[in-house]
Amino acid sequence: MREKVEVINTDLKKKKEDLKKKAKKRSQIADVWKRLKKSPAAVIGIILIIIFILMAVFANYIADYQTDAIKMNVVNRLQSPNKDHWFGTDEFGRDIFARIVYGTRISLFVGLISVGIALTIGGTLGAIAGYYGGKIDNMIMRVLDVLLAIPTILLAITIVAALGASIMNLMIAVGISNIPGFARVVRASVLSVKDQEFIEAAKAIGARDHTIILKHVLPNSMAPIIVYATLKVATAIMATASLSFIGLGVAPPTPEWGSMLAGGRNYMRDSMHIVMFPGLAIVLTVLSLNLIGDGLRDALDPKLK
Amino acid sequence: MNNKVLEIENLRIQYVTDDGTVEAVNGINICIDKGKTLGLVGETGAGKTTTALSILRLIPHPPGKVVSGFIKLEGLNIMDLSEKEMEKIRGGEVSMIFQDPMTALNPVICVGDQIAEAIHIHQNVTQEQARQKAKEMLEMVGIPGARMEEYPHQFSGGMKQRVIIAIALSCSPKLLIADEPTTALDVTIQAQVLELMKELKEKFQMSMLMITHDLGVVAEVCDEVAIMYAGRIVEQGTLIEIFTNTKHPYTQGLFHSIPNIDDRKAKLIPIKGLMSDPYNLPKGCSFCNRCNYAMTICETQKPEKIEISDTHFVACHLYKDNLDFQLRQ
Amino acid sequence: MLKYILRRLLMLIPVMMGVTFLVYFIISLTPGDAASIILGDGATEEAVIELREKMGFNDPIILQYTNYIKGLLSGDMGISYDTGKNVSTEIIARFPNTFKLTVIAIFLSVVISIPIGVISATRQYSIFDNIGMILALVGISMPTFWIGLMLIILFSLNFSFFPSGGMDGWKSLILPAFTLAIASTAGITRTTRSSMLEVIRQDYINTAKAKGVSRKVVIRKHALKNALIPAITVIGLEFGVLLGGAVLTETVFAWPGIGRLMVQSIQTKDTPMVLGCVIVFALSFSIVNLIIDILYAYIDPRIKANYS
Repeated sequence: MREKVEVINTDLKKKKEDLKKKAKKRSQIADVWKRLKKSPAAVIGIILIIIFILMAVFANYIADYQTDAIKMNVVNRLQSPNKDHWFGTDEFGRDIFARIVYGTRISLFVGLISVGIALTIGGTLGAIAGYYGGKIDNMIMRVLDVLLAIPTILLAITIVAALGASIMNLMIAVGISNIPGFARVVRASVLSVKDQEFIEAAKAIGARDHTIILKHVLPNSMAPIIVYATLKVATAIMATASLSFIGLGVAPPTPEWGSMLAGGRNYMRDSMHIVMFPGLAIVLTVLSLNLIGDGLRDALDPKLK
Repeated sequence: MNNKVLEIENLRIQYVTDDGTVEAVNGINICIDKGKTLGLVGETGAGKTTTALSILRLIPHPPGKVVSGFIKLEGLNIMDLSEKEMEKIRGGEVSMIFQDPMTALNPVICVGDQIAEAIHIHQNVTQEQARQKAKEMLEMVGIPGARMEEYPHQFSGGMKQRVIIAIALSCSPKLLIADEPTTALDVTIQAQVLELMKELKEKFQMSMLMITHDLGVVAEVCDEVAIMYAGRIVEQGTLIEIFTNTKHPYTQGLFHSIPNIDDRKAKLIPIKGLMSDPYNLPKGCSFCNRCNYAMTICETQKPEKIEISDTHFVACHLYKDNLDFQLRQ
Repeated sequence: MLKYILRRLLMLIPVMMGVTFLVYFIISLTPGDAASIILGDGATEEAVIELREKMGFNDPIILQYTNYIKGLLSGDMGISYDTGKNVSTEIIARFPNTFKLTVIAIFLSVVISIPIGVISATRQYSIFDNIGMILALVGISMPTFWIGLMLIILFSLNFSFFPSGGMDGWKSLILPAFTLAIASTAGITRTTRSSMLEVIRQDYINTAKAKGVSRKVVIRKHALKNALIPAITVIGLEFGVLLGGAVLTETVFAWPGIGRLMVQSIQTKDTPMVLGCVIVFALSFSIVNLIIDILYAYIDPRIKANYS
């Protein structure tokens, strides 16, 4: 009887603690959000990125892909911005605004997926290296040193050059070239957490390695990883545009910001709008993510402010 | 002739932040005579370091700001001085030793140069002479002069604190401010460093402001003691008065928190609770929520300074109408 | 110190081995038959087979790689599939142009960014700081090639101050160098500012002030040297970004460097040339990082002590 009561008691205690933990986590997120809201820069970033996301999701409702973004219409070529074509038309008479709207889809998609690839592979490698240390760490880091010796964008160019230009290969290339960066960040934050006492405690009660890594180490080392990932989506978008610009990305006529700039280059003397607007789209997307990244960093680590 | 090296009168310092205003120092009065040592005692966050920094006018601004009061060094009000004149005072007339020797030395400059820099600024000497003097200073604090080319990371904590003392004393200041100089050190090293400071203080005829929360240190080096709580001085007197005729309940609380070797069965009586939220100090006496003697008046009215003797003051309502009130033992 | 440099030089060898292997392997994934590319469309089946055998394209990849490394060590990077010229000779001819461009760009970045970063930090939240930081943020958000296009429109198409491309005297260097410098300038400014902000809150800065050191000297002597340690790391990393940017800048400005050579070679499927370019870029990056590490030890006595 007594035992039973005790079991119930510890059970209740555990539940209470769980609830407390959840409440704490929620309040932590709420806290970060509260601080983030205070920064006007971060708010501007969030608004901008929401606009871009909405544009990507509802592109069909804004313009028709076939008739506005793809179909050549030589009669209308190189029109300056006007009320029918807000951002003007390109060298084939296609509406630049419509192409930018559809380009948002590709940019955000490629940016997110490639960072996802880098985070999954690089993060796993980094977590393993940081948690186990010693020989495993040494081996992983030496391999990454090799990858790090090649400047990121050059590695991506090399990979796409070998695999051939397509959206898929673009994501793979940008993803792989970002692996070492993520591995390093995850490794560093795992290292900073792993020697803390609550990890020792988890080990002492016999928790298994993967449980410790997934449940204790990673959640507590999330902050720098989140910030890094946000900033990396920005650079991935920029890398995508860069690769497309030198003809190694999305093939025409698919609307992609970088390839729009590559195509418009030859006409920019007389039709500046043709290189102006796609570029601005890149700048604003990247800027919004950078604003959010900076804001998150300050919000997650208030002592640095 | 005025014999007072340091006079602080009605000093009030605030920190204004996004979350509110902190009254870090709230109308304190301090006075140190030539050659004497005053101990400024209190918990972390009582405003001791802020007071110390204000004497060098090094309160970070923003957010810190001196709201009122003045600080006089040998009769000279430093609030009126220009930044250039202040630079002459810092390290020349008044030196400061910081709490954590591990972080108080510049990691990328060798210790000899860090000492020589102070000498070069304040004394009319060549670089070479300054370095020679730095070497002498280093030897005076018990470090071989040959080590002056070495960098801080090559020294232990106690050695670093010696280097810092050498820097502070290199220009024979009239006043030395020591901000918890031994807190970060091992006990054996603490004793050495304290001994060294006492010795050098005699040698240079300095006055000293010793900031600490350790009553043992106070007993060791101080002539007078001021007890600080939440930005105010709650009791002040000579060493003997504070130790043998304790008046303020907070001072008594501090004494009761120290273990007694002669009577190990005696229970420690910790001061209950935590220091009040500095953003939101009580309207009356700041200590009333932790005080065993609290009365209704304590919650609404700030206690006035009450004179026990010429040298002994206490700010507590207990003595308002009854100077002979005795705290329970 | 010499020991430290030697150690770092030795560490370079396995890394470069890894780099060549990795890049060789990636490039070998290129679809299409090298022999047919070399001989062009009109070649006979027999000729293609013969060439394939002669060039060793049928050998296992490891053997091909070993042969390549043997050649590389004697300075031979193979023959261009496209022009039949010697790859090493082509790269050596173009290298000085890329070198000039990148060195000037990194020099501009450092000279502009460090003072701005320092001033911004010492006057945190002032107008100077706010404007500087907004510009820096915009700077890191602009793609290099777009900056190049905008500068061309502004300074060469509209005003004809500078040529829009090619390499012809110092005037033609200005636009590409600035284009390339902007992103790294912005990056280094941000790092300098944040590390400076961290440094000026350290205890030893208070110690220096308490000694009577004037504000200017505190910043210049006590703070800057410490703040430079992280800044220099970032300068090294930015150099990698800058080399990548050189590929784009050279493309935009028709600058005859290795970057443009690489892009052209990718388009003509000239694998030996692409391989050579990537290896030279990686080697340059590694050497820059070596220099950075040495600088690092020079500034930070804690690192120097580890190796003396």
